[in-house]
Amino acid sequence: MSESKGHKTLSACRANRPESGFMPSGFMPSRRSVLAAGAATLAMPYLSRVSYAAGKDVNVGVVVPLSGANAQFGVNSRNGIELVADQINAAGGIKALGGAKINLVIADSTSTPTSAATVGQRLIAQNDVVAILGAYASSLTLALSEATERRGIPLMTMSFSDQITGRGFKNVFQIISKASTLGEAQLKGTAEIAQKGGETLKTIAIMYEDTAYGSSQAAGLRTTAKALGITVAMDEAYPLGITDVTPLINKLRAANAQAVFPASYLNDGLQIIRTMRQQGIKLPVIGGAGGYVIPDFKKALGDYAENVMSIAPGNYDQDPSLTDAFKKRYGYFMVHEALEHAVCLDVLAKALEKAGKADPNAVRETLHSTRFEGGWCNAMTGRAVKFDETGLNTLAKPLMVQWRGDNLVTVWPDEYAKGKAIWAGA
Amino acid sequence: MAFLQAVIDGLMIGGVYAVISIGLTLVFGVMGIVNFAQAEFLTLGMFVAFFAWKYLGIDPLVGSLISFVLIFGLGVLVQMTIIQRVLNAPPVAQIFVTVGLLIVIENLSLIAFGSDFRSVTTSYQTSALRLGPLFISVPYLAAFCMSLLSGLALWLFTNKTWYGRAMRATAQDPMAAHLMGINADRMRQIAFGLGVGMTAFGGAVILPYFTVHPTVGHQFVVLMFTVVVLGGLGSVAGAVVGGLVVGVIQSVSTLFFPIQLQNLVLFLVFITVLAVRPTGLIGAAR
Repeated sequence: MSESKGHKTLSACRANRPESGFMPSGFMPSRRSVLAAGAATLAMPYLSRVSYAAGKDVNVGVVVPLSGANAQFGVNSRNGIELVADQINAAGGIKALGGAKINLVIADSTSTPTSAATVGQRLIAQNDVVAILGAYASSLTLALSEATERRGIPLMTMSFSDQITGRGFKNVFQIISKASTLGEAQLKGTAEIAQKGGETLKTIAIMYEDTAYGSSQAAGLRTTAKALGITVAMDEAYPLGITDVTPLINKLRAANAQAVFPASYLNDGLQIIRTMRQQGIKLPVIGGAGGYVIPDFKKALGDYAENVMSIAPGNYDQDPSLTDAFKKRYGYFMVHEALEHAVCLDVLAKALEKAGKADPNAVRETLHSTRFEGGWCNAMTGRAVKFDETGLNTLAKPLMVQWRGDNLVTVWPDEYAKGKAIWAGA
Repeated sequence: MAFLQAVIDGLMIGGVYAVISIGLTLVFGVMGIVNFAQAEFLTLGMFVAFFAWKYLGIDPLVGSLISFVLIFGLGVLVQMTIIQRVLNAPPVAQIFVTVGLLIVIENLSLIAFGSDFRSVTTSYQTSALRLGPLFISVPYLAAFCMSLLSGLALWLFTNKTWYGRAMRATAQDPMAAHLMGINADRMRQIAFGLGVGMTAFGGAVILPYFTVHPTVGHQFVVLMFTVVVLGGLGSVAGAVVGGLVVGVIQSVSTLFFPIQLQNLVLFLVFITVLAVRPTGLIGAAR
């Protein structure tokens, strides 16, 4: 391009500037730079307090991503938690503690693991929390759990990664099936659905975001594929925040698979489906929860969302009598992360009732030793919650959902199904 | 054939990298300021185009012009009120100001728009042209063509108009330009407005295939700096070449390495280029 000639001049001005660039030799912190630094500190992830009646409230920490790439899911999670907190408080608080109200201390973990750990530490040090709920994304939860484990504060989570309860931590409670179980169910369920649809599943493609969540789920898929004798024709990780998925889809096209299993959050999920459609690839898509099971998926893709399937640790159609309250208050169906966080808080409240004191140690022991039933536990697939010694809820079972219009319908396994599965590319 | 496909995909996406990076290089070239908040203007441009689509039914490709105009205006204002004050300040103060601007814009858009992901639906976003075995994604092609047009328009402006020549004169030697009767401050306002406007325009044209949220800038900021430094800081032609090179490297590297490593390959090439040519591919000779 002839542009180069005309624009040499623009860069010529650099010749007059000091070679060192950013740091001039006589640098002294000026009043201005100090002010700017102060302002920058103020703008860091903030803590907000939702205060109820003063007195002997029980402080519960909530650490979820309210900004950054995972913000939407953090907001959904917070909504579910606030719904249950308000329900508990309206019903008279924790009775064993003289009607103490649940006081949520909500902190933005942002979407980076280091800040998740930092805000978690701050909640423990400054806010006297009895337990922490969070942090949606596995990579955030892993970082956060280091902080809670050190300080002996129970952390209740709905993150998927196997590592969460696989490290021998005493203070972490995973309310849902772990990723490898989800991956296993995802492939088994798909194979069954395909069989009923008249196709035997032999070759699949896996693509996943290379964070804790995607990697553990892919591991589950891989092992199950091996056990079932299914060939994995494509097995590709991609970086978080990918800006162009075309290379992925080019590989998918070359792989000649019968079904594709993407584990991704929303933005990459949308790009994947759209690029597949561009290239005329009509494979059944079985998402790995994340971005595939939220209303925005349907909103952005319209008809292309129809019949897309996904694994999920829970779905709102399992107990509409509980989840309708969410839809009424927030205007969209109760997405699974909201649902499971709601269950976390309800279980915590039940543990507080039973322990009779707002003490992290007592809460942890009660959580470990009790089988929780009733209330929001009914919305879970196991209809009850029981944590084993690693902190994993052994009663949780994954299910598969499929898009039908604006709704997600549970289609597998039969005991939880509310509709029939359709085996078809969207 | 796979190679040709990868090169085509890389060029398409690289064209967009080029247009969003031109703004950054332009601001540096004329004012000597590295604008760390540049990617936030991309976010704002995407939001403008999104709302133009949502409430006025304007296609993002047309809405990109609205983005350009509005963000140009905002850029002029920002230059007049904020950047102008630190033009002669130590570089570290300039960094603080633009980083501060980044934080402010990001958090204001979080307050104003919430953290939702928003995405437009257009008729062409799931279609592709087929040339034998090759696929050319229509939204990519559209974004590429719009980028090309805007690059051409910028070239015409800077080379064929009085304002453009005056702007270049200011970049070359502000004092001499001033003596020739050029209002240097005005030129800087135009340059900053143009710079952020171009980036906003680039944000709008990728809307058919990308979702917008207040922190979407993070996904592009490192790429923008890579493009600009690779091409040669301050050189518009360098940004164009840099953008295309980055796009092609990202795309072609996936043929040989896992996709996970596409940025590793990019930065290895980046470091090598800088080691051999510290001024960038099209850097000014000293």
